[in-house]
Order: sequence, then structure tokens, then C-alpha cells
Amino acid sequence: MNRARAFAHEQSRRRLILLALVALTFLLSLLFLFAGRYPKPGFTFSAIWNQEGMAQSILWKVRLPRILLALVAGSMLSASGFTFQMLFSNPLVEPGFLGVSQGSAFGAALMIVIGSSTTVMVQLSATIFGLFALLASYLLAKRFRFGGSLLRLVLSGIAVSAIFSSALGVVKLVAEPTKDLQDITFWMMGGLWNASWKQLFSILWTVLACMLLLFSFRWKLNLLSLEEKTAHSVGLNPKRDRLILLVVATVGTTLTISITGLIGWVGLITPHLARKLFGSDSSFSLPGSMVLGSLFLLLCDTLGRTLLPTEIPIGLLTSLFGAAVFIIILSLKHQGGKA
Amino acid sequence: MNALQLDNVTYTYPSGTKALQTISFAIEEGSSLAILGSNGAGKSTLLDLILGYKQEPGIRIFGKEISTYGRKELGRTLALVPQTEHYHFSFTLLDYTLFGRSPYLQAMGNPTADDAEIAYQALEEVGLASYADRSITNLSGGEHQLLLLARAIAQQSKILLLDEPTSALDPANRKKVLSILSSLHQRGKTLVFTTHDANLAYALATHVAMLKQGSLLCFGKKEEVVNTEMLTTLYATELTVCQLGTETLIY
Repeated sequence: MNRARAFAHEQSRRRLILLALVALTFLLSLLFLFAGRYPKPGFTFSAIWNQEGMAQSILWKVRLPRILLALVAGSMLSASGFTFQMLFSNPLVEPGFLGVSQGSAFGAALMIVIGSSTTVMVQLSATIFGLFALLASYLLAKRFRFGGSLLRLVLSGIAVSAIFSSALGVVKLVAEPTKDLQDITFWMMGGLWNASWKQLFSILWTVLACMLLLFSFRWKLNLLSLEEKTAHSVGLNPKRDRLILLVVATVGTTLTISITGLIGWVGLITPHLARKLFGSDSSFSLPGSMVLGSLFLLLCDTLGRTLLPTEIPIGLLTSLFGAAVFIIILSLKHQGGKA
Repeated sequence: MNALQLDNVTYTYPSGTKALQTISFAIEEGSSLAILGSNGAGKSTLLDLILGYKQEPGIRIFGKEISTYGRKELGRTLALVPQTEHYHFSFTLLDYTLFGRSPYLQAMGNPTADDAEIAYQALEEVGLASYADRSITNLSGGEHQLLLLARAIAQQSKILLLDEPTSALDPANRKKVLSILSSLHQRGKTLVFTTHDANLAYALATHVAMLKQGSLLCFGKKEEVVNTEMLTTLYATELTVCQLGTETLIY
């Protein structure tokens, strides 16, 4: 029974690391509420404590919803990336690889240009086109007659992404330059500078529901990364479960990026980091990845809005740091090609 | 009670090609059945049907039509040892063996310390317990096959299905797997395995079903059906069954 006790001890240790990360994220979030460029660059506590009107207003109406959006978006994008990696048994997959991000961007741009640029319509269009891109990648992969199933999927994802990128280019060409084009460009660069309570609440409950659903599947994700027949033999309905998870991960991703624009690398890098910290078992590496995603986006966004007088688009920072972390992880130790 | 019963089971691929035609046989609980045939005879398809992975009417597990089983109930009744498994994430051996406990977990639950103890015992049974914390990506071919077996043992099902359990193993690992399977069988586990190796069938099975081009050539106790005539018909080449002391050799 000593072995069973050791197992329980290891589970507790992982839970503690997870809680420590949650606590760190919470504390940093509180701290970063006081970081910004008003009334002066850096951390400002005195103006807020002295109940200076503008400083307080910025804290409650600008920084707080923005920080919450960074936490929610980071967690959702990481959960989706993780889910995609497990479902496609490929540690290099994330929603962007299968055309979902480009499809969503096209959907949002199209809605902006045809004039129905209410938040709900843009979100709906982004979600529908994101799902459509996923379906197109999947169906195209089935028709390809080259390479193994995963390679076919990644190749079809590249093709679908390229088609939607081109279509997005066409939409940008015909977009009204002073308003619509700016909105579309925002999409492409990614950023949280538009964050408001209204925007946050427009996606919050659905995105939280998506995250909760993915979280509830955390054990099953392990089994879904195996051969379908094996997953079936241990009591799963792999076809049904895969479909549910794909749709939920795609809806969560598209809703998130309908507010934040395209933010790359979060969904790719945090699952790798989480597996390093918690091991490959998704029971811990999925929630770990979600917390790390929140932390990563919180740090990138805070840097982006405080470092220079002009805001640095968050997509640039996530790409820069994401790639750096990726290179470090892959250089640390020989992995035998496995994540 | 019959652990497994097939009544006129037929399966046609979506392309229209007939894979299996009117297969009927039954085995009692505690038997060991070899599904014997050459490559492409339909052995793996038959195993998929018994597993419920492909669905056709006429298959009963412990008297109950397979389509009426719930997924988890089926997972507690049948476990599969596939021919091979491709891993894309570096789970530990313990993680992987714990996957066999899935049919016993609550809807959103994780394995408990008791599940871990069962998984450790399964790893012990196949001789891999001391590597429990090692990554599955560092296993040799033989260890890999033993791990697949450990996961299925941890599943504690009444019936164990094995797809070509020793086809890729060297003689030492083959002997090891055979010894583990014999031990499981002696303790009452019902085994159903596919093989093209008549020697393995004879060594491990109590019953043999010979499949040829999707049809059942014969079914019965191994002493009744494994003979020179039947094997020569099955493989369309001359094979001899002879006794070497207490051992039966087919060549």
C-alpha cells in the first residue's frame, strides 16, 4: 500500500503546485491593477489611495476588466490548444493550425464590412466561420492522399488557413479605410486595449461554460489521445466525445478572439510548459495549462501596456516570448520526439 | 454460461466487400479461444465486432446482446490488447496502466490510490513495476507489448481480447507474454486472441476458430480441429502436426 500512498502524495504535490500558481496569478493580477502609465509610468498606489477620481476610474473601468479579460482569454486559449493537441495526438497543433483562427478573423471582418458590426453579430460570424474552417480542414484531410492522418490534417489546416487569409485580404481591400479597416487590423494584431466590462460580459459566461466543460473532460483527454479503438475499449464513446470537445474548444476560442483579436502561441506554448511541470497526465496538465495561460497573457499584456508610451500589440509579445520559451523547452532535454 | 456467443454474424465493409460471412460459435466462461487464419482472413474485423467497436447484431456477451451494453459496462466486461499503440505524449508507465481503470471512474472523476494499487499490481504481473515512473517513450518493443497487457489487466475485465499478442516479439518476450496469458487463463480469465501462428494457438487455446476468407472453416476444441488436414486447408500449404514428448509442434 506504500505505493498507493506515494501516488496519493504525488497527486497532492501537483495540486499544491497548481494552487500556488493560482495564488501567484491572483496576486500579480492585484498588483498589476496599479501598473500603467497614469498618472505616471510604473506602479502608482498613492493616487488611487488618495481617491483621485481619474485614477480610480481607470482602475475600475479600464484596468480591472482588461486584467480579467487577459485571465479568461489566456485560460481559454490554452485550454483549447491543449484540447486540440490531445484530440489530434499532436503536440504541435493549436486552433490556428487548423484554420480556426483565420476562419474566425474572416468571419468577423466580413460582418464588420457588411455593416452589422454589433458585438453579437461579429461574435456569431466569427464562431460560425471558425467552426466551418475546422470542418473544412477535417473533411479536406480525409480527401488528401498524401502522408499519415496527422500530416494530412496539418496540411489541410495550412491550406484552409491560406484560403481564409486570402479571403480576409479581399475583405480588407473593399473595407472602408477610416473605420472598418482599422477594426479589421485590430483583429490581425490582437490586443486587449478595447477591453470593457460590456465586452467582457458579452463572452464571459459562454467562455466559462466552455472552460468548465473542457476541464470536466480532463481525464478523458488522456484516453482520446490514444488510438480510437483503445479509447473505445476502456469505456469511452470516442467519436461523440471528440466532436463535443472540438466544438466546445472552437466556440470558446472564436468567442475569445472575437474580443481580443488573433493572439498566437498561447495555445501552443502553455500546454508544453504545463506538461513539464505536471507530467503528461491531463488531469493536472490541462488545469495547469489553463492557469499558465492566464499568467502568460497577464504578463504579456501588462508589459505591452506599460513598457512604452505607445502600446505594444499583445500578439507581438506572445509570439516573441512564446517562441523563446519554445526554443528553450525543446533545447533542454532530448524528448524522443514526444511532448 | 456462454461468455461469448456469435449467431450468424456477417460484416460488410462500407465499400461493399464482404469481410465476414455467417460466423457462429460459442465459448464458455474461462475458455481460451484462438481465432486462427492467414493475413486478411477477417480475424481483426471479427475481434472489432466482439469488442463492439464495429457493430453487427448476433453477438452476445454473457447472454446479453452487445449493443445493449453501456460503454463503461462493456469496458468492465471486455479489455483489449491491441497489436500496437502509437504514443504521442510521454505518459509514465503508471499513467498508461491507470487508463485501464477508466470504466470504474465516476463521470468526472480521476483515479484514486486504490486504482493506483491495482495498476501497480498489473505492472508487477508483467514485470514492469520498477519502471512505473519511467516514460513510455523509452520502452523496447517487448516492454511495449507488456505494457499494453498491463493496462488490460488493470481493467479487471472478465474477457481479455488480444490482437496478435506475440507477432512482433522475440522468443524471450514471446515466452514471457505466453506465460502471463497462461497464468491469467488458469485464474479463470476468458481469453480471445487472433493469431496466424498455429503453434501459439495450440499452446494457449482451449478452442480454435479457423477463419478463411471471411468464413468459418471450423470451430471446436483444439484437439478436435487442429490437425494436418484442417491446417493444410486453412493455409493452402502443407503443414504437419506432430507430438514431441508432451509438446505439439506444427510446422
